[in-house]
Amino acid sequence: MLLPDHDFLKPRTLAEGLDALRDAPAGTRPLGGGTDLVFNMRCRLVAPPAVVSLKDLPELQGVAESADGTLRIGAGSRLTDLVADPRITARYPALAAAFRAVASRHVRNLATLGGNLCLDTRCWFTNQTKEWRDAKGPCLKTGVDACHAIQGSSVCVALNNADSPPALIALGATVTLASAAGERTLPLADFYRDDGIRHTVLGPGEILVSVTVPPVTDRLVFRKETARQGMDFAYGTIAVRADGRGERATRLVIVLGSLTTAPRRLVAAEEKLAALGLGEAGLAAAEATVRDALGALTNLYSPAAYKRDLARTLLSKAVTELRELPA
Amino acid sequence: MKKAIITLTVNGDAREVAVSARHTLLDVLRGKLGFMGTKEGCTTGSCGVCTVLNARGEAVLSCLTPALEWDGQAITTIEGLEKNGALAPIQQAFIDYHAVQCGFCTPGVILSAQAVLNATPVPTEDDINDGLAGVICRCTGHIKVKEAVRAVGRANAGDTPVVAKP
Repeated sequence: MLLPDHDFLKPRTLAEGLDALRDAPAGTRPLGGGTDLVFNMRCRLVAPPAVVSLKDLPELQGVAESADGTLRIGAGSRLTDLVADPRITARYPALAAAFRAVASRHVRNLATLGGNLCLDTRCWFTNQTKEWRDAKGPCLKTGVDACHAIQGSSVCVALNNADSPPALIALGATVTLASAAGERTLPLADFYRDDGIRHTVLGPGEILVSVTVPPVTDRLVFRKETARQGMDFAYGTIAVRADGRGERATRLVIVLGSLTTAPRRLVAAEEKLAALGLGEAGLAAAEATVRDALGALTNLYSPAAYKRDLARTLLSKAVTELRELPA
Repeated sequence: MKKAIITLTVNGDAREVAVSARHTLLDVLRGKLGFMGTKEGCTTGSCGVCTVLNARGEAVLSCLTPALEWDGQAITTIEGLEKNGALAPIQQAFIDYHAVQCGFCTPGVILSAQAVLNATPVPTEDDINDGLAGVICRCTGHIKVKEAVRAVGRANAGDTPVVAKP
């Protein structure tokens, strides 16, 4: 099936691209690797009047390391290149693992980091062919006040299935956004919203330019649970960062992905583990906080009860792996 | 949008072709240039049968990328692996190891395997698994495919030439 008709713009510099996005009609979409947007266009989930390709913008490319060890990763960097980048693999093998967890090598050879961070939310009832959706009827995301996932929900509860955010959030990464009006930088944790339709804070004409990872010496672990390893969207992901060594840690960051509309931080679990240590007692206390931290869950792609169990299992496995990491 | 004329170098031959924003690379390769070895499967990025190689010899999904992004780029399709009538080692290995059943996914699998060998001439099991995970055979499985890739890897390591399995 051909894509819906649209204008295709290919700016050569960031300034040109931002001007093009400012001047383009409402609903214009920026294009990274295309593996998400092209698919959604083919399913007629989106039909933007224009697409602005970011592929050739030099400002969005490459990884730069400052003297203090801060990494600036261009949002247009391909995931394939990041998986193999020695500056990432040497210091943050768990971050490289999170990048490698995205889809297959075929997809990563096209897909960009920015595209994965902006990955549209997914729902069983919307990510279907147009014929399927028409038979079921529209929903919040496709233009009416109805939700098939949670009856009566006033907000879209589609899932954020991107694999890279939890590890980057745990590392305290910031994102730099740019539009023709200017630039702003904010923590990646604040980039996401609990709304499946406007799931990021990106405004009209605004794009993600770069991701900055501060120097971190803490331990970091990433895990992904999925149907087919090395291929599918996740049932759940987790990133756990901790200082200290062995079972001792005073500061932790725990972030779950793919279970909710925005990546979810488990603050209560972090506090239990910091207070009681990463041994079995601390872990049991931390696991007991997960259900409340997750709150209401959807049955999208896997049952809510399974998701609650999965979140506890991911936490248990990740913390066990973390405390056994060589110092 | 009006059509634009782009230049695609497919298997070494530069071709000019008129495409619109509605076309993916797959649409152009099959529908306009006649490279029918590139198959159209799921068109959702799940099956991998539309795999082609980019200029760096990496496997990419031609169904998920707009044709206009490829202006001036070089692409290798399954038709381009054979050189002067001689099959590429990976193609011969697929024959030797019976790594083909119905054949529909085979172009995508062979190009994915070639991409693995381009990146790592002597691939590890992890390289093979990672490189072939994105392309799916629905007839049987990947055991014989992996045997074929391993055989080329062994030949590249200088162990044994690529010949029929004993």
